[in-house]
Amino acid sequence: MKTKQSENNKITRRDFLKLSGVTGAAAALLGSMPKARNAIKEVMAAGEGSYFETKPENQIYTVCLQCNTGCGIKVKLLNGLAAKIEGNPYSPWTLWPHPAYETPVKDMATIEGGLCPKGQAGLQTAYDPYRITSVLKRKPGSKRGEGQWETISFEQAIDEVVNGGDLFGEGNVDGMKAVRALADAELSKEMSAAIKKIWDEKDAEKKKELVKEFQTEFKDHLDVLIDPEHPDLGPKNNQFMFVWGRMKGGREDVVDRFVKGGFGSINMNGHTTVCQGSLYFTGKAMSAKWNAEKGSFDGGDKFYWQADTANSEFVIYVGSNLFDSNYGPPQRGPKATDAIINGRKFAVVDPRLSKVAARAWKWVPIKPGGDGAMALGMIRWMLENEKYNQAYLAIANQAAAAAAGEPNYSNASWLVKIKDGVPGKHLRASELGLLTKQTVQKDGKDVTVYVDANGAEFPGDTPVALVAGVPTPINVLNAEAAPVVGDMFINQKVGEFDVKDGMQILLESAQEHTIAEWAEIAGISENDILELVTEFTSHGRKAAVDIHRGPSQHTNGFYNNNAWYVVNLLIGNFDYAGGTIKLSTYDRKGSKKGQPFPVMTMWGEEEMTAFGVDIIRTGVAYEKTSLFDGTYPTKRPWFPLASDVYQEDIPSIGDAYPYPVKILMTYMAAIPYSLPGGHTAIEILSDPKKLPLFIASDIMVGETSMYADYIFPDLSYLERWEFGGSHPSVPWKVENVRNPALAIPGWPTVNVFGEEIAMSFESVFLALAEKLELPGFGPNGFGEGVPYIRPEDHYLKQVADIAFGEKEDGSDSVPEADDEELRIFLDARRNLPPSVFDADKWKAAIGGDESLWRKVVYVLNRGGRYEAFEKGYKGSKVGHPYGRLVNLYQEKTAASINTMTGKPYAGYTKYIPAGLSSIGEEIKDEGYDFNLITFKTITMAKARGISNYWTLGVAPEGYLLISASDARELGVRDGDMVKVSSASNTEGVYDLKNGRKVPMIGKAKVIEGIRPGVVAFPLGFGHWASGGSDVEIDGKVIKGDERRAVPLHANGAMRVDPVMGNVTLSDLAGGSAVFYDSKVKVEKA
Amino acid sequence: MIKKIAYTVGAIALLFGLWGVYVRLFEGEQSANYGSYIGWGLWVAMYLFLAGLAAGAYMLATLDYLFNIPQFKGTGKAMLWAAAVTLPAGLASIGMDIGHMERIWKVYLQPNFSSFLALMVWGYTIFLLLILLSLYLAFTRPEQSVMKLVMWIGLVVAVLVAGGVGFLLGGNASRLFWHVGLLPVQFPVFALASGAALMLVLVGWFGPKEDHGNRANQLWTLGILTVILSVVKLYFLFTDFTQSLYGGVPENVQAVQAIMFGQYSFSFWVVQIGLGTLLPILVLVQPKLAKNDFIAGLMGVLLLIGYAVARILIIVPGQVVPMLPGLAEAFSGPKLTFEYVPSLMEWSVTSAVLGGAILALLIGLDRLVRFTEVKK
Amino acid sequence: MSNPNEATLLNKYASEVFAGLVAPALEDMQVSTHPAEDLPAKEDALVRMNRELKRALEKPASERHWVMVIDLRKCIGCSACTVACIAENKLPPGVVYRPVTIEEVGTYPNVTMKFLPRPCMQCDKPPCTDVCPVSATYKNEEGVAVVDYDQCIGCRACMAACPFGARTFDFGYTYTEQLPVMDGAVIGGESAGGYEHASQEYGKEWARNSRHESPIGNVRKCHFCLHRIKDGILPACTTTCIGRATYFGDANDPDALVTELINKPNVIRLKEELGTEPRVYYVV
Ligand SMILES: Nc1nc2c(c(=O)[nH]1)N[C@H]1C(S)=C(S)[C@@H](COP(=O)(O)OP(=O)(O)OC[C@H]3O[C@@H](n4cnc5c(=O)[nH]c(N)nc54)[C@H](O)[C@@H]3O)O[C@H]1N2
Ligand SMILES: Nc1nc2c(c(=O)[nH]1)N[C@H]1C(S)=C(S)[C@@H](COP(=O)(O)OP(=O)(O)OC[C@H]3O[C@@H](n4cnc5c(=O)[nH]c(N)nc54)[C@H](O)[C@@H]3O)O[C@H]1N2
Ligand code: SF4
Ligand code: SF4
Ligand code: SF4
Ligand code: SF4
Ligand code: SF4
Ligand SMILES: [Mo]
Repeated sequence: MKTKQSENNKITRRDFLKLSGVTGAAAALLGSMPKARNAIKEVMAAGEGSYFETKPENQIYTVCLQCNTGCGIKVKLLNGLAAKIEGNPYSPWTLWPHPAYETPVKDMATIEGGLCPKGQAGLQTAYDPYRITSVLKRKPGSKRGEGQWETISFEQAIDEVVNGGDLFGEGNVDGMKAVRALADAELSKEMSAAIKKIWDEKDAEKKKELVKEFQTEFKDHLDVLIDPEHPDLGPKNNQFMFVWGRMKGGREDVVDRFVKGGFGSINMNGHTTVCQGSLYFTGKAMSAKWNAEKGSFDGGDKFYWQADTANSEFVIYVGSNLFDSNYGPPQRGPKATDAIINGRKFAVVDPRLSKVAARAWKWVPIKPGGDGAMALGMIRWMLENEKYNQAYLAIANQAAAAAAGEPNYSNASWLVKIKDGVPGKHLRASELGLLTKQTVQKDGKDVTVYVDANGAEFPGDTPVALVAGVPTPINVLNAEAAPVVGDMFINQKVGEFDVKDGMQILLESAQEHTIAEWAEIAGISENDILELVTEFTSHGRKAAVDIHRGPSQHTNGFYNNNAWYVVNLLIGNFDYAGGTIKLSTYDRKGSKKGQPFPVMTMWGEEEMTAFGVDIIRTGVAYEKTSLFDGTYPTKRPWFPLASDVYQEDIPSIGDAYPYPVKILMTYMAAIPYSLPGGHTAIEILSDPKKLPLFIASDIMVGETSMYADYIFPDLSYLERWEFGGSHPSVPWKVENVRNPALAIPGWPTVNVFGEEIAMSFESVFLALAEKLELPGFGPNGFGEGVPYIRPEDHYLKQVADIAFGEKEDGSDSVPEADDEELRIFLDARRNLPPSVFDADKWKAAIGGDESLWRKVVYVLNRGGRYEAFEKGYKGSKVGHPYGRLVNLYQEKTAASINTMTGKPYAGYTKYIPAGLSSIGEEIKDEGYDFNLITFKTITMAKARGISNYWTLGVAPEGYLLISASDARELGVRDGDMVKVSSASNTEGVYDLKNGRKVPMIGKAKVIEGIRPGVVAFPLGFGHWASGGSDVEIDGKVIKGDERRAVPLHANGAMRVDPVMGNVTLSDLAGGSAVFYDSKVKVEKA
Repeated sequence: MIKKIAYTVGAIALLFGLWGVYVRLFEGEQSANYGSYIGWGLWVAMYLFLAGLAAGAYMLATLDYLFNIPQFKGTGKAMLWAAAVTLPAGLASIGMDIGHMERIWKVYLQPNFSSFLALMVWGYTIFLLLILLSLYLAFTRPEQSVMKLVMWIGLVVAVLVAGGVGFLLGGNASRLFWHVGLLPVQFPVFALASGAALMLVLVGWFGPKEDHGNRANQLWTLGILTVILSVVKLYFLFTDFTQSLYGGVPENVQAVQAIMFGQYSFSFWVVQIGLGTLLPILVLVQPKLAKNDFIAGLMGVLLLIGYAVARILIIVPGQVVPMLPGLAEAFSGPKLTFEYVPSLMEWSVTSAVLGGAILALLIGLDRLVRFTEVKK
Repeated sequence: MSNPNEATLLNKYASEVFAGLVAPALEDMQVSTHPAEDLPAKEDALVRMNRELKRALEKPASERHWVMVIDLRKCIGCSACTVACIAENKLPPGVVYRPVTIEEVGTYPNVTMKFLPRPCMQCDKPPCTDVCPVSATYKNEEGVAVVDYDQCIGCRACMAACPFGARTFDFGYTYTEQLPVMDGAVIGGESAGGYEHASQEYGKEWARNSRHESPIGNVRKCHFCLHRIKDGILPACTTTCIGRATYFGDANDPDALVTELINKPNVIRLKEELGTEPRVYYVV
């Protein structure tokens, strides 16, 4: 069959359908995979020694997800069998510079870019023997986590999950139907609006009144609420909760559609805080947007900045593991190694000699958590030696920035009111009488404006700066307004107010200690600070500090990150080539004018309005809710500045705070494994009383899904759709499109909405939606006659939006694929089964328009859309600047309350010691002398790398790094087995609550390259599931593979918060789960 | 009695060995402990040992047939037989060691004569033919000059092949521990020594009852010969090791250290040096003990064991030092280790080889050779 | 590190962009790059080397002199090359062509790590070939030391002879096939491992269907990915090298990147004293 295909390149669509039909039939059963071998034989025989890899029709471009970097990849296929993965040559992740997007695919067939070892090993994720191919149900009568399963049909599983019943012989379990008490979209909207009113009311008494009003207004529907006394907990629907670990765009949008708009639950959150949470939320706080009409701040963007590795003359990588992990070695590696040979420099601040440290100009082995102190030492020096960008920092508004040709500006010179020595809000112009409120007529409407003494109009109240000593209102956003360049280092009275500017507050904070003292706190030498800061301030704006998890995942992470960002801000390097930059992606949601599919707002029937307090208390301030009784601490913390607080999910369920959860669904999450102190989650997950129904989507029986009641098999990243997004160090506008590159022969299909589709994550949502009759899915899911019945109905619309681009007139769209490219596209997919790929259905998903279809093909043929190399920069600046206000001083943060202490958070760069409990107290774990930290190695991705045997050859097991001097003292030699324990896990075990305990024992690796007193272990080993242990399915034992059960994983030794007892230490400001502040004991085992 | 025991030992060894042979032939080499870093293990050592033994036995046979040394009159045939048994045993051992036995013909039909290995296969094949021819002649026309001629050629070939094995290792410039100039000289000496030890056993334990008087003489002479050769061998060892240690090349030093103080020190000090060399020397220098049939035979066995171990301890340590620092940890996988102890399967195969050889030897002695001619 | 001499390397790259704009006329394939306005525009070395590879392929095989250059200053010890090679050649457990050694040097806090990727050196005077009793391993006309798996008897003499440890023996392991099978519940060991049979080394099929089938029972080694370069694709370890530390090309081409690199004083070869004349060069 394949002979035909390889001899002439003119295979017709009918031919390849026939062809894949044959393959499909031959491999109807998964047991017949060895057929693949014959396929190889035939191809090789037919190829006359010619290498199959050279043919574009044997290649599909998609996106890696071995780690979250999301490099573009090219999958090389042998009659449907994926045989090799390479770097996608179009992708800026794998080649630098990346070639022109318009290069024909056929010309790229023999070009490929770089991938890391995990990317290279990706086949082993897809073709993992332990991947499940059927829905698994916990065997009735067996306990959660016991590893006893039954295979059941997909339909039965959906039925049971929807309708509930006595599913496990443990009594009645509510199904999703019962939990979805509120099914009336109109009503949900009304209730939501009423709740919003309650929350917006500042006066406590009036708030109570509003609650009463609510109760009367909706008296016929109070039964849909979790607690009518606290209607703002929301509807019972909220008792369905969806939690994901690694999820990317596309699927994320589907979850949003399902959970919120469809099901009507507010509870969906991701894993941000286990990852680099505080980094995101520091970014959010620093990017809080000035709302000119309201005269106050709105929220910022959940994002972060990174250094422009490619163009920086000097980078300080702080806890940023560039060559082993981060975002990511293929993408940043070549740029950093280019620096090495071309006289650009970098330094590394890390307690451990990482690989990037081994190549650095200077390695500073900082004490874990000392980052803020070190940064403040640098800040002090910069301020006192006037090595900061005075001209840039003085710019106080958009107009001044525009005048100076600056891409952005800060609030460094804005005045801040000081009360009792504590910086609070920015001084408003109206408070000084500089502006007066007036109502004017505009277009026949009454509009409130503020007017200054000269009659100049402002859209709202404004902040104030001193300009040559004169208080001046700042028209922040209007580029046409008067430029304001403020005085700095203000510490005086203005009017009746004690004021300082951001710079003065910063200076005072930095002067809390001498540089030598800061160095001592950070555990380094004064000279380290001086050397780094001198170098840092010697490159104009082509220097940057690049931070990642190292400074972030501490109890003081938010403030560490802030301090380092401020170091950047002081030289004004934001948006500059070689400075601090942000990512830019093509809009996949169709929210730009002219884009063909605004998917997020395409609803056939009215969507539900989800409302209420989310279970992890992130969407609303405690003080605004009806739960607020004026007292602190709360039972568990609230997170006014963060969201997606992963570590709070399970403990909140356990404590039923603020309300109990009935159904939890997890997706691609390894909660007990990935979280610090994650062993505490096992106790809750394994208890049906605390969590009545637990559903998981997984590709195997994983560390979390092993506790589930139902596991739904998913497609691997090489078989599915998703959008890879981008990362801050990539300056180009891009979007990576993950699309099916292979299909496992005989992979099960399911029938939903009359369509046969692959069993997958999407199939679960579609089937649940069909059964629950949710809006947003089905024949009219996207609108009258616009169906959402197949996965691609959603994703291809998004691809079409990306292909169309962001200009209303379509001038930004990609070219149409020509006939040759279309042929290659179809031919390359000839072995995908019709349940996955059916060209007609794919085309129909975007409305059947030929021109749009060809554009979509153009994008899919390239695995995404990548802007031309030269567009990344404009002169000395980036092509897609952040371009607006950077908050040196954070008013919103200063106004937020820490609900565990009842005190407001500091709105400025401040040193806070690491390792404090949730109520801010020092934790003294006597007898636990080592500081435990962790890191990633290039060969391991998360809980997910262990199935990749190829990379296990490079690093077969985990270990505990111990400094040679500590090892001598402990009498530990290289290779000795050591045990790790802590005050919150004195036994040093993971208690799996199924009779098994996994000790935290592994090999000691004695090295010089780690700070004495610190021990470290790599992520990815020490599995107790994921194919590492036996499971029983339908009475048959599937033996675990010992290669997957090798030690060591020591997250369980990380400190549990002494106050709450069932959660890791957290950074309450930035939300981070804390990985680097635990004290442990190391003993010979 | 001894013979019965020997038969039993041979039979048991062969039986135990059949399992290993089965595993090797049908399941492949995974249950062997040699690997990709220590690629040559027990079987190669046994090949060196047995092939050396064959050369040595042949050399000793010339004492009878070429040099007509009276004391050894009548031992020639037995020694030729011993050579005819031990050489195939050695070849079997190496045969088991190669990945594709079925392709062994290629060495004959498509040889690469710049390969010492190919030369050795050819050399040993010629040698085997010469042994067989000699044996044939020994039965048919022992006194004729053709026998002498063949034995002369055989002797030269024996020395060459024994030396050649030395070259196989010594010529390997990549393995400093082997790359000793004298190795090709040492090996014929080792061969002769092991041949003498074998002869001690054959004469001491299985020599014809009738020849009792002469035997004491034979044993004493053999004993002295063995002692001298053992001392020479010790001297070689001493110079090799001291050169290595003194030269200070890390690879060499580490190899020697592995032998003297590392994982192989027990085999070295106790088996090779203690039981396999010093004890026999001490015993055999005492005429009374040396002339005792049983004790002489026993010393022969000990010496043989010592020589066999000595082979292992030259083959293996040459490979225990990573070619590059950090190579051992750079990649892990089955058989990527610098530690080596033969596996049970390897021992089993060797046991089959040795068991087979012992049985063949005994049967030959009983059926074909007999020391009866001695009487003449 | 800030040695100005080293900055010339950048200039070389940069000038190659312009050479690159002229050169493609020679080939039927063209990958264009856009120089950015104000930033040093370069062409990815992989794109340049791909073009040079295609140029070299136009010459008779005997006139090509393949070499590999590894810049140890840029190697980040990531082992992407190791795994890419395994994935490309479907190397079974225990077989590795290009390990990367890591050596920690110094004492705290003055400590660093050295990374050394070690493919086969493709020595011009290889001690590994003469020892082969059946001429199964030899230098081919392009100067690559190859192993003819169908000829090799598996004696491991070549393995013993290589001073770089560049050869390993295929004992017939697989990564997945021994793992459990349960149709309808998990993919299962036997089914999953299809890709393990997809090796195309030397442009041939090596299905490994039985324990006795070559390359099982053979000594194996890096072959500079002859099957890829023949069709104009750079070796797997080279394209995937994320430190951009690995270069490959024809040293007989005076304009090739590798030629530029190896004619510098800061280039060494491993165990030079043995005189094996490696074709793998290290920039230090
Ligand atoms: N190989 C691999 N790559 C990955 C991933 C993966 O799983 N595997 N995951 C991806 C994901 S999701 C993420 S979030 C990124 C993470 O990217 P990074 O944050 O860059 O990576 P980590 O390895 O977590 O690095 C944390 C580093 O901080 C150091 N460190 C610990 N404590 C401190 C401290 O107190 N101060 C300082 N300055 N440093 C400290 C550690 O030694 C370690 O080197 O990596 C991505 N890339
Ligand atoms: N010690 C230590 N711990 C860490 C870190 C560290 O550096 N050191 N890093 C942290 C970081 S940065 C992060 S981002 C977190 C990540 O932690 P998590 O987000 O919790 O998830 P993963 O570890 O990625 O595990 C995902 C799980 O999903 C399942 N899975 C795998 N593939 C698929 C799939 O295709 N579909 C579905 N449905 N399921 C799948 C598997 O069971 C797998 O275990 O880990 C954190 N934990
Ligand atoms: S860095 Fe991450 S995304 Fe890129 S190839 Fe490696 S595993 Fe895949
Ligand atoms: S490195 Fe080793 S295997 Fe490669 S050519 Fe040189 S001697 Fe032969
Ligand atoms: S193992 Fe094969 S290639 Fe190597 S020397 Fe022996 S026969 Fe030749
Ligand atoms: S050239 Fe090919 S065979 Fe050699 S190490 Fe690189 S990838 Fe492996
Ligand atoms: S891929 Fe490149 S950077 Fe990584 S270890 Fe190999 S040679 Fe070094
Ligand atoms: Mo992460």
